[in-house]
Amino acid sequence: MSRVNKKRKPAEDSALRGLISNPDFSRLLILIVMFALTAVLQKNFFALKSIVRNINSFTPLILLTMGQAVVIISGGLDLSVGSALSLLTCVLTSVMREGMPITGAYALVLTFAVAMVIGVINGIGIGYFRIPPVIVTFATSFIWLGIALFLRPTPGGETVDWFQAFYKIGNIENAPASLKAFGDIVPPALILVLIGCVLWWAISRTRTGRYIYAVGSNSESAYETGINTAWVQMQACMINSVFIFLAALFFVGQNGSGDARMGDPLTLKAIAAAVVGGIALTGGRGSVYFALVGALIFSFVSKIIFFANIPNAYQTLFGGVIVIIAIAGSQIYTLSSRRAMEESKLT
Amino acid sequence: MALSNANLVCQSGRITGLLGANGSGKSTMSKIIAGVYSADAGEIRYNGKPVKYRNPNEARKDGIAMVFQNLSLVADLTVWQNIVLGSEEKKGMFLNNRAAMDLSREIVYQLLPGLDIRKMVHELNPGEMQIVEIAKAISENPKLLILDEPTAALEQAQVKSLFTTMHALVKKGVAIVFTSHRLWEVMEICDDVVVFRNGENVGSIDFTKDVKDLEKIIGYITGETQKAKVEKAHDTVTDEIVLSIKNLNYGNFLKNVSFELKKGEILGIGGLAGQGQHELMLALAGNYPGVTCDAELNGKKVKLNKPANAIQNSILLVPGDRQLEGLFLKHSVFTNLIFPKLGLKRQPLLTPQKKYRKECEQVIDVLSIVTHNLDMPVNSLSGGNQQKVVVGKWLSFDTNVLLLADPAKGVDVGAKRDLYEYIVKQVKEKRMSVILYASDNEELVEYCDRLMIMYEGQIVATLEGKEINDDKIVATSMRVS
Repeated sequence: MSRVNKKRKPAEDSALRGLISNPDFSRLLILIVMFALTAVLQKNFFALKSIVRNINSFTPLILLTMGQAVVIISGGLDLSVGSALSLLTCVLTSVMREGMPITGAYALVLTFAVAMVIGVINGIGIGYFRIPPVIVTFATSFIWLGIALFLRPTPGGETVDWFQAFYKIGNIENAPASLKAFGDIVPPALILVLIGCVLWWAISRTRTGRYIYAVGSNSESAYETGINTAWVQMQACMINSVFIFLAALFFVGQNGSGDARMGDPLTLKAIAAAVVGGIALTGGRGSVYFALVGALIFSFVSKIIFFANIPNAYQTLFGGVIVIIAIAGSQIYTLSSRRAMEESKLT
Repeated sequence: MALSNANLVCQSGRITGLLGANGSGKSTMSKIIAGVYSADAGEIRYNGKPVKYRNPNEARKDGIAMVFQNLSLVADLTVWQNIVLGSEEKKGMFLNNRAAMDLSREIVYQLLPGLDIRKMVHELNPGEMQIVEIAKAISENPKLLILDEPTAALEQAQVKSLFTTMHALVKKGVAIVFTSHRLWEVMEICDDVVVFRNGENVGSIDFTKDVKDLEKIIGYITGETQKAKVEKAHDTVTDEIVLSIKNLNYGNFLKNVSFELKKGEILGIGGLAGQGQHELMLALAGNYPGVTCDAELNGKKVKLNKPANAIQNSILLVPGDRQLEGLFLKHSVFTNLIFPKLGLKRQPLLTPQKKYRKECEQVIDVLSIVTHNLDMPVNSLSGGNQQKVVVGKWLSFDTNVLLLADPAKGVDVGAKRDLYEYIVKQVKEKRMSVILYASDNEELVEYCDRLMIMYEGQIVATLEGKEINDDKIVATSMRVS
């Protein structure tokens, strides 16, 4: 027992070291750097208007990344996120009729049901049929796209007026003034993200939340422990669907129309952002909140490129390079600080 | 077909030993009872009622808990999260984490005081993981507890506290099925034993009625009357020094380790688990670039800073964890056997398949590896045969020093004997030198010419001749003498 005591360092010293060598710390550092760069490059960065505008443009990716993170942690991967989002916007705008506020409620209920069905179908493929997630969701992505194109071959559709509550409360004609004022300060997009965070906060305190990590980390062990691994993976897909649903609400509120193609580019961005946020693609590791951080880093990168006057033709290239540098940087940082920690242990 | 006509009876308040060679169907039997697999035919009666579990959850609900040989832990959760996994209690809407931590702390304290239950499981060493796996099974308050090789990764003190816990459970009326390759453990703790061979039960002994006859049990397990014990290689030890290590240091793990290895000698390394033995073996095999030492091989200075160096100097390692360190599990026996050649010897442009296949067949012959053919994936072989493949891959090299890092861990009696028989033969014939680390003292007693005991990274004693016996080893390891 004396051996254990000898090894133990003064508490605060090791606590600080632990914090610095924590990979999440390096992610926050990167976020701060990106934030600062954007603040320098973007004029009026701290003006209320640009803050709201930035939050609005970041929100869809943040929501999708958090949902994707849940699926990845459970040991899956969802390539159908983008087209599922497109499908949901198409369903929303197909149900709603302009000037009939009640259709908005119908649309909400029906679309939520569709979102759940999407999660269930992906979950059946991944969990119950044990088909590799990449293949299941690649296939289903075409099914969602196909249905979306059937509903809405070209972008368009109708919405009800109050649906703008998901984008800008001030745009609603007969909303009370106090609510409008509140909406100007706290944009609905932020509330959607908060709903997502609270949702995960609650789930992570239930068995489902614990089991999602267990199944993603080692599904065989989880099964042997009596956990219904297929059901857990399906639940992860359904949680992801809730996040996609929230993103769809925002999109329709913003654009007032549905588009069968709008979600496609977001699929891989959401996966990449989750990885930047420290979600291990092998499953079981990472935090959904840090997926949010990853999405923020990713979004700031595109802002920086936009404001840095980089010629249009090179913007995509630069985006890729910056993301690689960010990931490699955090990796090197983690390795070197871990090595430093080990060396301090050795001597 | 892993089992045919296998029978097993266990009673509450008794510990039944389940014995058999690797691949004899012990684990399969256990997993059927625990609901992981389902039997093709036959009947399981539990408390007098026939049961058929479709999944582990149904078995758990009936009070059957199992400690898995390969562990059923989740590396990315903490110790306490693992212990309550699958049976979490709720408090209102959310999980009751405080109760879970209290329960875990209480159970872990019986088995291994000092283990921090908030640690992540991937930070633990194998022995600690095993303890957590056992704690997890006990936390379910089982009526039937199946322990599939719970002691392989444990050191003796931990085994003792496990036995104490088992006795306490049995007093409460729990039935226990206990599997182990270490026969002395079985003799000590079990009330009766059942022996499996090739998926059938071939014999059973009730210790409360019959005598504890070790020879008879070994006979059941191997299916043959025991051969004469392998003789020690003492007479082959020469005065010529093959390897001399001076002041080997590696951080806190190894401190001023110095020793000399003679030609034709089997030098043992013992002590409590985790005192630097494993690190020493890996350091000698060149796995730690940060090691400082003066090493001389046959009088010439050598560097031990990378594995390729050690291998080129014919210092060859047979790692203990064959599945992680020694084999490409999903590849064929053939690939595994020729692999070191491809990387480390001058090769013709195209691999001469025919020639190599012939060589491999010879290796299989010499080591009597049981496999259908060369192209079987290596993970379809039983543990003992897998370990022989690890040894076999070095056969085409001239060996100066063979490092055996717990080579018989999880290997049955028969295969263990084959393996050591072969090594002793090599020592005798080729005057090969061997450094042997084994977690089981029995192996050290049986085969070592000299034995070094390690404690906190240092060599604290070297035993020779008649000093090498179990009592002396334990005493020196615990530093009580």
